[in-house]
Amino acid sequence: MANPVKTQNLEHIKGIRKVPQEEYYVPGHRTCQGCGPALVYKLVSKATGPNSIFLGPTGCMYVANTSYLCSPWAYPWMHTQITNGGAVASGIEAAYQVLIRKGKYKGELPNIVVMAGDGGSIDIGLQAMSGMLYRGHDALFIMYDNESYANTGIQTSPATPYGANTTFTPPGKKIPEGKVLFPKDPPQMVIGSHPAVHYVATASVAYPVDLINKVRKALNYKGPAFLHLHAPCPKGWLFDAKKTVEIAKLAIQTGMWVNYEWEKGEYTYQHTPKEYKPVKEYMKLQKRFDHLTDAHIAKMQAFIDAKLKAPGKPIAVPVQGPREMA
Amino acid sequence: MAKEVFYSGCAAAAYGAKFSRVEVISSYPIRPYTGIMMELSKLVANGDLDAEFVHGEGEHAQVSIAYGASAAGARAYTGSSGVGVTYAMECYSPAAGGRLPCQMAIADRALDPPGDFGSEHTDVMSARDQGWIMGWAETPQEVFDNTIMYYRIGEDPRVMLPQFCCQDGYFVSHIPGKVILPDQKAVDEYLPPYNNPHPLDPTRPVSHGPQIFPDQGPAIDLQRAQAFLDTPKVIAEAVKDFNKQFGRKYSPFVEEYMTDDADIAFFIMGGHARTARFAVNHLRKKGVKAGMVKLRFVRPWPTEAVAEALSKFKAVGTIETSTSYGGAMRGGNLIHEVRASLYDLPKRPAVTSFMAGLGGEVVTLNEFYEMAKILTEAAKSGKVKKGVYWLGFEPD
Repeated sequence: MANPVKTQNLEHIKGIRKVPQEEYYVPGHRTCQGCGPALVYKLVSKATGPNSIFLGPTGCMYVANTSYLCSPWAYPWMHTQITNGGAVASGIEAAYQVLIRKGKYKGELPNIVVMAGDGGSIDIGLQAMSGMLYRGHDALFIMYDNESYANTGIQTSPATPYGANTTFTPPGKKIPEGKVLFPKDPPQMVIGSHPAVHYVATASVAYPVDLINKVRKALNYKGPAFLHLHAPCPKGWLFDAKKTVEIAKLAIQTGMWVNYEWEKGEYTYQHTPKEYKPVKEYMKLQKRFDHLTDAHIAKMQAFIDAKLKAPGKPIAVPVQGPREMA
Repeated sequence: MAKEVFYSGCAAAAYGAKFSRVEVISSYPIRPYTGIMMELSKLVANGDLDAEFVHGEGEHAQVSIAYGASAAGARAYTGSSGVGVTYAMECYSPAAGGRLPCQMAIADRALDPPGDFGSEHTDVMSARDQGWIMGWAETPQEVFDNTIMYYRIGEDPRVMLPQFCCQDGYFVSHIPGKVILPDQKAVDEYLPPYNNPHPLDPTRPVSHGPQIFPDQGPAIDLQRAQAFLDTPKVIAEAVKDFNKQFGRKYSPFVEEYMTDDADIAFFIMGGHARTARFAVNHLRKKGVKAGMVKLRFVRPWPTEAVAEALSKFKAVGTIETSTSYGGAMRGGNLIHEVRASLYDLPKRPAVTSFMAGLGGEVVTLNEFYEMAKILTEAAKSGKVKKGVYWLGFEPD
């Protein structure tokens, strides 16, 4: 049924000086030094403001944020299972629609935001995420991507890059590259296959103003949207904790990450370097790739070269599946 | 004006939800409960019920949507059967632990394998320890009435627990029976609007479900256990008020049929109780002093009411309708709780169990007569030969 409530019009921000001073993700949590996902939370919270409800599927941003019955959010927040972030958000959104329609809730429809990790989005949480986006709920699904099941001690997820050393893909004599599979393409799993979704974008902690504006643009749509946010993880990727933003920038400079928007069928790209650096520049700063040979890195480079021909679009990649290689 | 209709259990559940003014409904198809959602979707499509009808992408999502809606302050309704009920298993404890009183209609069904559409109580009995209120209805009328009563009980501030409102698949869900639909106004008087004291509301922020340290866990568990200790009082009030408001005669926890001078009794829940009544009538004519005790709530288990009702018999047979493979009595679930309820009594009846009503099997009158023979023998000797009988399916 039609939502009779006007959704809020969140303002586009012109520069870092215009970013709201107010914090809605406040100190007191136990995230690691240099935590990319915590930075995502801070920026996303500044973007949404206080008329928001956040859902936290199990993951780092649940466990490290809410120890001992404490929580760092100045807006309502609810834990969801790692499986069902999209479904719980759907129920909350549906409740607000009917409560507002019946006059039982007098305010504006809150921003309903799922803040899911990669597992809670495109692995075990995929079904619920797709359901929420498909049904057209007025809610935002954010995948903060730290490229592993980090909360449980860095295990491989479908967002973990090829060649990464994780505690479930340790490099060994028989499997020298560690992770054999190449990652899923999360926005590709949404774009064009969920008719109610008009806005999908990627953003990075390296470009905070861009990230904030994309969150606001997503929320200004009267319906679902999906954001894929790059959130480097010093603990999981094994780099110096003060280099989170540097790593995030390098990802963009090497083409390992591309910032773009897909809006009503049109792609626009942001922060595209004039010339891409070799992926090795990015990989060599992270110990998770330390064991790789030049041949492995060449495989990664070939994958990225292919993806960069049309970022965010369904194109062929030069990848052999494990059964093909055998 | 109240009016009389002829509804299946599915339609009765749907109208129970409508009269309860449910606000968010989450659906997913699985037989036999599907009819409930088919009925509700028509009511919503025609504008006869103002609710959000959300097509869940599975039962796991259905329950998630329902408890999410409940957390935001809306009265939520969902349902399922069989493997759908077990697929959603992860979500039951978050709903109960979150004290989110949504309701899930169950038209029960045997679990796989092999694929079987028939009624069996094992599906939702597998979720009996997840902290939900749970009980079975015998007739479409009781389905309708329980739907309304369960919301009143679950949403009571002393309780705040979700509810499994169960009926037997097909035997109740698909066989029409007389249902008296009350005045909406009378229901509104009986069932106040749902009030979540701590909703997810940006004007008064709260956090739901943060992590805890292990030693913080037991205190929270104790609160949940205490809620179940407080619930029977609320049930008794809710049933009494319901009877008064709508002119029914429900017992809160166990209904007794022809038990005053009975030596033996069938202990049963759900639709098979209807056959049991006829069996008792026939047995009485043959001079067998048989009675029936029908259980109305599995959770909270009415220990005192069960003990009081059963203590007067010489022998009791539990009609299991569910499985507990490898359990203490090698058969079903009910006998464990029945025997535990009787343990502290100075004088206890002999208790055995009958594996019947599994996989959609009809428990026939002949089977009840066979049970009566076994119970009569136990009543005479004062003890049971076996803890479990698979009537008709095991060598003599």
